[in-house]
Amino acid sequence: MIKIQLVDDERNILSALRRLLKPEGWEVHTYDNVEEALGSLKDHEYAVIISDFRMPTADGVTYLQFAKQRQPDAVRLVLSAYGDRESMIKAINQAEVHRYLSKPWEDHEVISAIRSAIDLYQLKKENQRLRRENERQKDMIRAREEELLRLETENPGITRVQRDTDGSVLLSDDD
Amino acid sequence: MSNASAPQSEQELLNARLEQANQQLLQSEKLAAIGQLAAGVAHEINNPVGYVYSNLQTLDNYLNDLFRLTEAVDNARCIEDLRQIKQNIDYDFLKDDLRDLLAESREGIERVKTIIAAMKDFSHIEEEEFKPADLHRGIETTLNVVNNELKYKAEVVREFGDLPEVECIISQINQVIMNLLVNAAHAIETFGRITIRTRQKGSTVVVEVQDTGRGISPEHRHRIFEPFFTTKPVGKGTGLGLSLSFNIIEKHQGTLDVESAPGEGTCFRITLPIVHPDTDNE
Ligand SMILES: Nc1ncnc2c1ncn2[C@@H]1O[C@H](COP(=O)(O)OP(=O)(O)O)[C@@H](O)[C@H]1O
Ligand SMILES: [Mg+2]
Repeated sequence: MIKIQLVDDERNILSALRRLLKPEGWEVHTYDNVEEALGSLKDHEYAVIISDFRMPTADGVTYLQFAKQRQPDAVRLVLSAYGDRESMIKAINQAEVHRYLSKPWEDHEVISAIRSAIDLYQLKKENQRLRRENERQKDMIRAREEELLRLETENPGITRVQRDTDGSVLLSDDD
Repeated sequence: MSNASAPQSEQELLNARLEQANQQLLQSEKLAAIGQLAAGVAHEINNPVGYVYSNLQTLDNYLNDLFRLTEAVDNARCIEDLRQIKQNIDYDFLKDDLRDLLAESREGIERVKTIIAAMKDFSHIEEEEFKPADLHRGIETTLNVVNNELKYKAEVVREFGDLPEVECIISQINQVIMNLLVNAAHAIETFGRITIRTRQKGSTVVVEVQDTGRGISPEHRHRIFEPFFTTKPVGKGTGLGLSLSFNIIEKHQGTLDVESAPGEGTCFRITLPIVHPDTDNE
């Protein structure tokens, strides 16, 4: 199940977004303060984290930087009413946000930004899975080679047995 | 006689010029303050507009669902079909959520309304008349305008006493209170408390704005009312707030005092006569 975290100090923004995301079938977690949002990063793995910019105890960029450390794979978005360039640049450079969305928003824009973030998250995950798979297979090959080497030193020639076309071992009387 | 009247009129002329210069200064400080606030106010408005706007889009979807149900009344072959549609559109959720959606949206519109009303109250610069006014209302108006500057910096505590109406130019008094509140917020490093206290004291009223900020160092203490004295970086401070506030209060025949303990906080105290002495004479 895809999990999405929303952080905004304004509760009504959270309910509007909840309504908006409900039909999508994602698991949506909302937090109206940064402390609890931070705490939940220990218990849940999020695909997407969307944060407000201006909040009482920490700004959204600071929060997303924390979130990036804890969950580097979660794709980060900012949803802000504070439309100045400075905060936008800060968000993009420091917290490496995927998209900067502004309030008021168009519902379909938010949805498509989240969908593309989820795609990105899934790509990252798939990538990691493939890399792990690759590593695992390399390890297996290495282990097998080592085993062959060991057999060869213990029984010289054993790894070079001859087989016929059916794969049966051919024994010769040479030795 | 004519000897005495010549310098007299010259002095009057000078006085008039000084008054005019003061007015201009007041106006420019006001514009600077409004400029600083504009970004904040936009933020304050974009939040409620943001969720109201999104809720309306959701409402559109909800309505489509409900119409699907009501239109099926004519077409459905049996009651079972209707039940099926009702279940499909998650009717029970929709019914509850519609109420919340409307209540929250109304709350948002109310907030926008309050902010706009406050801005209007606030920008009555042309109003130059001394009139009995409700200071508490003025303080609330001002708080609405600067809410965005304050809410991330401090918890605002109101300790209001009983106040009679005070003869004053309320738009100017609002501006003084705004200056004091914004200064208080600027003085707070992370998060603190701003207390607004009012009380009547004999024939005067007292308004205090106290903060838990960094305080004013003794070497700055005697300079803060000077025009253009500021310890803030360019763009954040004009150094005009307190000097103009001082002028405004002086014109009201009141006093503006300050007590400050570095590292602990600062308290500005406005004292105003309930009846403006000049109008008393009329
Ligand atoms: N509440 C306060 N706490 C600490 N310092 C203050 C406070 N209010 C004013 N000051 C000091 O007084 C200076 C002048 O204030 P003001 O005239 O409002 O100009 P500005 O706010 O533009 O700097 C400020 O720069 C600051 O150093
Ligand atoms: Mg100031």
